[in-house]
Amino acid sequence: MGYEELFPPNDLKGWHANAAKRFASPFVDNYHDRVDVDPIMLSNAAVHCGFTIRDFYEKPELGIHCVGYVAELFDLLPVTHWFFSLPWVRELGVTLEYKDTLPPVSTGPIMSEPEEVEKLVPIEKEDLKKGSTIPLFYGLYDYVQQNLPHTLVPISYGFDLCGAGAELVGVENFIMWTFTEPDIAHHLIDTYVGTSINGADILSDKYGMAMLIVGSILANNDIFSDEMVEEFSAKKMHTYVDQCFRRGAGPQVFYHLCGNHETDYKVFKKNLVWSPFNVLEIGYMGQNEFPAELLKNEFQDVTTIMPGVDTKLMINPNPKKVYERAKEVVLAGRDAKKGFILGTTCETPPYTIPGNLLALTRAARDFGTYGTW
Amino acid sequence: MEYIIADAVKETIEKRGLKIDDIKAVVEGAGDDRIYKDGKFLAKKEIGEITVYVMYALDGDKCTVETAYSHKMKILDIVLVGEEDSGWVYCKNKKPVFTGHTNLTYLGATRSGPSLVEPETGASWFEEYLAAGALATAETLFQQKRA
Repeated sequence: MGYEELFPPNDLKGWHANAAKRFASPFVDNYHDRVDVDPIMLSNAAVHCGFTIRDFYEKPELGIHCVGYVAELFDLLPVTHWFFSLPWVRELGVTLEYKDTLPPVSTGPIMSEPEEVEKLVPIEKEDLKKGSTIPLFYGLYDYVQQNLPHTLVPISYGFDLCGAGAELVGVENFIMWTFTEPDIAHHLIDTYVGTSINGADILSDKYGMAMLIVGSILANNDIFSDEMVEEFSAKKMHTYVDQCFRRGAGPQVFYHLCGNHETDYKVFKKNLVWSPFNVLEIGYMGQNEFPAELLKNEFQDVTTIMPGVDTKLMINPNPKKVYERAKEVVLAGRDAKKGFILGTTCETPPYTIPGNLLALTRAARDFGTYGTW
Repeated sequence: MEYIIADAVKETIEKRGLKIDDIKAVVEGAGDDRIYKDGKFLAKKEIGEITVYVMYALDGDKCTVETAYSHKMKILDIVLVGEEDSGWVYCKNKKPVFTGHTNLTYLGATRSGPSLVEPETGASWFEEYLAAGALATAETLFQQKRA
């Protein structure tokens, strides 16, 4: 039995048709009912369907079907995604271990000497095709094409270019080398970036395009200065998107700046590639959600913005609090020039309370309906 | 002017729906409204609903066409000027051309894309990789999403 036999079909003519119009609207200035809601739902979708976090990651086709199915329940995005933060690292020598309560984690081996890093080169396309990441995404998107074609968006993940590079040597070594051996730290990230670009090239060859998801997670103000975030993250993100575009990927880009970007947010506007279809999410300013109004004022001339409700609230049994916070976020950002999506500050937690998701959607309806402001 | 167009270039141009007359219109109508780098010119012209670009080299009255491409999205204003000198020079005012971002409009929507910009005059150009790749896909998505 295939996973598709576990799920009834989506309501294509009702829910999906309407959600698809809504999803398109912020990108094409053709506003439809209300602002969209994207809580970046991953393993929470599996939990809603009675499966486990481990199931979500170990069985990608099951996981993505849960995402596509549950989106209808909360009137979320009409498209599917499935990912974890460490694509391409297995091809670069790291082993990943599946966990019961976490996405796959690296179990090494790590390179502990700079001389080992110097020998690294990006994995070529032909070798990537024989690795594990490309077959994983081929399998995933082929499954979606066959069973949930109305939700298909082929996505290639650079994800956290700095953080994934750091996994190859251990985060502590990496942070130390950014100060003591910066050339080695650059070479490490560049190797991961080159490999990720080749991966996007393969996926765009097969599917005719590939949306890009790339972020700055390890590189944030809790660890690095603005200058170092720019050197080790923002400029690498530029290279990744620029080179992917040159090879036919894009034009959709989702920029995910997780963690504390209290002052370093300023280095991203001038460094990133802004395409006709991009969304920018910034998680936090210090310990608080990154202000929707600031996100709008700084970035609305180049991108659709996605400010969010703190993920901590999503597991707090208090839907009213989520609703009130979401209301504030919507009111502050809904009139952004190039569109607004109500998000959460990162992936909504696996055990997000259903009532809290409903509170997000309710706030989007109550305060984000176009034509009411 | 004698136009030299290699068979492979001709094939690409035809696949992109462009005609030799379009190429001639761009080259012959450019004057100083073109940019120059490493012996090559890049000129553009709005022809009907599209903006056509030609990259070419000149040797006396011989014009060797390197490539030609187009986009449907209409160029508007510069949004961001980057710090990186692209190496191109605008022939009109001999100023350097930088990487940047420019607004484009299509089917009633205005969005930006990475471009080459000359801030003094406000002129912008889009490179071939982008026009034939991300912008072409974006145009298709705009058509689908506006439908």
